[in-house]
Amino acid sequence: MPAVDRILVVDPERCTGCRICEAACSYQHYGEFNPRRSYITVLKRESDGLFVPMVCQHCAKPLCVEACPTGALYQYGSAVFLDKSKCIECRQCVNACPFGGVGIDPVTLQVVKCDLCGGDPQCARRCPTGAISYVRADLVGYRRKLEGAERLSRLTSLIVPSGGG
Amino acid sequence: MSELSRPYGGYAGRILRVDLSSGRVSTQDLPRDWARLFIGGSGLAARILWEEVGPGTDPLGPDNRLIVATGPVTGTAWHTSGRSVMVSKSPLTGIWAESHFGGHFGPELKYAGFDALVVSGRSPRPVYLWVHDGTAEIRDASDMWGMDTYETTAAVRDDVGYPAAKVLSIGPAGENLVKYAAVITNSHDAAGRTGMGAVMGSKKLKAVAVRGFGSVRVADPDRFYELALEARDRVLGSDQAMELRRYGTAMLVEVKQAIGELPTYNHRSGVFEGFETIGSHHIRKNYWVATKACFACSLACKKKNLVRGGEFRGLFSGGPEYEGLYAFGSNCGVDYFPAVLKMNWLCNRYGIDVISAGVSMSFLMELRERGIIGEDLLGGVDLRWGNHEAMIEALELIARREGVGDLLAEGVREMARRIGGEAERYAMHVKGLEISGQDGRTHRSAGLTHAVAARGADHMRGLVTVDQLAYRDVAAERFGEDKADRVVDGYSEDYKALAVKMHEDAYAVRDSLIVCWYSVGWPPLFWVDDFSRVLSAVTGEESWSDVGEVWLAGERIVNLKRAFNVREGITRRDDTLPERFTREPMPEGPGRGQVVDLERMLDEYYELRGWDLETGFPTRERLEELGLSDVAEELAGAGKLARGGGGS
Ligand code: SF4
Ligand code: SF4
Repeated sequence: MPAVDRILVVDPERCTGCRICEAACSYQHYGEFNPRRSYITVLKRESDGLFVPMVCQHCAKPLCVEACPTGALYQYGSAVFLDKSKCIECRQCVNACPFGGVGIDPVTLQVVKCDLCGGDPQCARRCPTGAISYVRADLVGYRRKLEGAERLSRLTSLIVPSGGG
Repeated sequence: MSELSRPYGGYAGRILRVDLSSGRVSTQDLPRDWARLFIGGSGLAARILWEEVGPGTDPLGPDNRLIVATGPVTGTAWHTSGRSVMVSKSPLTGIWAESHFGGHFGPELKYAGFDALVVSGRSPRPVYLWVHDGTAEIRDASDMWGMDTYETTAAVRDDVGYPAAKVLSIGPAGENLVKYAAVITNSHDAAGRTGMGAVMGSKKLKAVAVRGFGSVRVADPDRFYELALEARDRVLGSDQAMELRRYGTAMLVEVKQAIGELPTYNHRSGVFEGFETIGSHHIRKNYWVATKACFACSLACKKKNLVRGGEFRGLFSGGPEYEGLYAFGSNCGVDYFPAVLKMNWLCNRYGIDVISAGVSMSFLMELRERGIIGEDLLGGVDLRWGNHEAMIEALELIARREGVGDLLAEGVREMARRIGGEAERYAMHVKGLEISGQDGRTHRSAGLTHAVAARGADHMRGLVTVDQLAYRDVAAERFGEDKADRVVDGYSEDYKALAVKMHEDAYAVRDSLIVCWYSVGWPPLFWVDDFSRVLSAVTGEESWSDVGEVWLAGERIVNLKRAFNVREGITRRDDTLPERFTREPMPEGPGRGQVVDLERMLDEYYELRGWDLETGFPTRERLEELGLSDVAEELAGAGKLARGGGGS
């Protein structure tokens, strides 16, 4: 049986939109602060207060890997990595990914993607609210169930307000 | 962008200049000595305003400047490094104006390559500014004139074709030169105070949009990142910070009710019988939907609320902050939270300062109750305590400057002048700025802060919380064990001058870095030694690792703002409080019977500042010690410099 690896889990409900994850990511990879060089992007819709951190999902059936003609993108454990030495900058992967998980660096104009910071993803490490976490894949399902239960009980209390109104 | 132009780490190295009269856009390198002497943010802007806006300049004329400034820490990953400041000469007060705001605009301006934006002149037609990647374009905004700030933001983003552009904009209040018009960004973040929206309106500048792909580079990234991690952990480890994350600044409603400092009925009282239903526990339980943060903030004090039933069913909005809850709530006798949320939301859409609008309305309510004004003046708007329908109506009129709204739009000082007679007694302002949600009678240092702050009755530049909230440990650290008990006694004048001076200097640094009030002022988690470490790691300028140098920079900035005001004619006579605080004992609550002995605190304060006791002018000696010889020279030329080395 293969070892169960850890995966990045995003919980938009906890996200405050502070973008520390973006700043931390750019620092980790470039030694400077520049959200546009970050591999994680917090999408915002101010009008309805929606904040969703978007990052490579390290899919089990990655379309980027399928699209890549040179094998520069490859799977290892439960993650997807990019081998820059093989990449010909054709950008097929950027187009193929349904999540915007592969991007173009605005400074070098080269293809870039999340590399899980070598096993200690800084976005998860720095996020002040727990909106991003790096957890064992087999525990994610259980955690989701717990969260779902919590959400359900919150909804019920909205329908039957406990006083006031 | 050349690396050479960056004076130190952390800075973008350039100032963007836009003259709306000629349509000229240019850039200027950030002078190294300005960075060293004034840090950035509010300090840097003070230097620019001092040099470019001479005495007597019409705040709504083309010669006034509108400055948006960031600091060396802005746009990094240090806790709360997303704040920025707007600086100008105020149309409301005629003196120094600064208004800080959160969100994401400031970092984006740095990424676009600029530490500051300085706008001069006046456009012949409505325009907006599109700042991107080292340059800027002035674009037509004729179609946007008349829109509210939400519509404007959407229209501008559409026009530049970039949905993530960060936008500052004004609504109809700014266009109509409401004296306390605000500038809004990120839907609910406001540069609210001192009428920055009217300055934009006078320049026919509807909005500023910015996008940047550049980086902020700090001098010592590894050390800096360590400090940023440590700062984050300090915030997450603080129970008070986490309580603030849970309840937002609204929690001050209950805190201040408990200490008798919740301004009620036009600052007549410090306790409000209806506080519970505008308080944070009620809000959290019944209306709260989400918690949001400004850029890089681990605390996250911002709240989004939804009204699920009743008159305002369906209203979804950010805020209000404590100041909105006091200004539209207790101070006007309103205890219905959805109405306060509605008024706050209208202010965000129309671009109106919440505090000045609330206090202007409570002023008329009191005058009416006392029979000082007649019904005719109100033009059918039934402004009386607790009538939120009339207040909503009044806000609409203020934004359009129609009917009684045209009078309200002037702010209480000018309203009192027009009404005449006894009205001035009830006009709650200092130097023309409406008083924020504190009361010197039950929080003495707040009285002194209101009286001496450079922009008028201001709580952000010197508010001491160690006395207000009785942080005895912190007081002992800052003032010494022997003084701590006197310092934390909010009903005593003892050591309050010392405390206010110290906090003004520290906050001047905070406002120049720029970092947020929350976690520096309250809860008191970061102080000048932290600023010293952060500044040296960011800039690489070694002298900042000397805490004394950082304190000195704070004092320098406070003095420069004072010099700006003195040049405009401010003297000790203007460093005052409404009679209500100095003569009318607090009528009820825990602080019953208290009044402020302002003159005693003022004497001590000038003495500590090295300003003249009689005039309040700075002295040559002190200005020279602070490296402001040229400022001393100019004040001397105008006959506004005091002799001698101290206040006596
Ligand atoms: S880049 Fe996109 S497609 Fe590829 S693994 Fe990540 S999320 Fe999946
Ligand atoms: S650091 Fe966490 S809370 Fe902040 S934007 Fe990223 S995911 Fe959201």
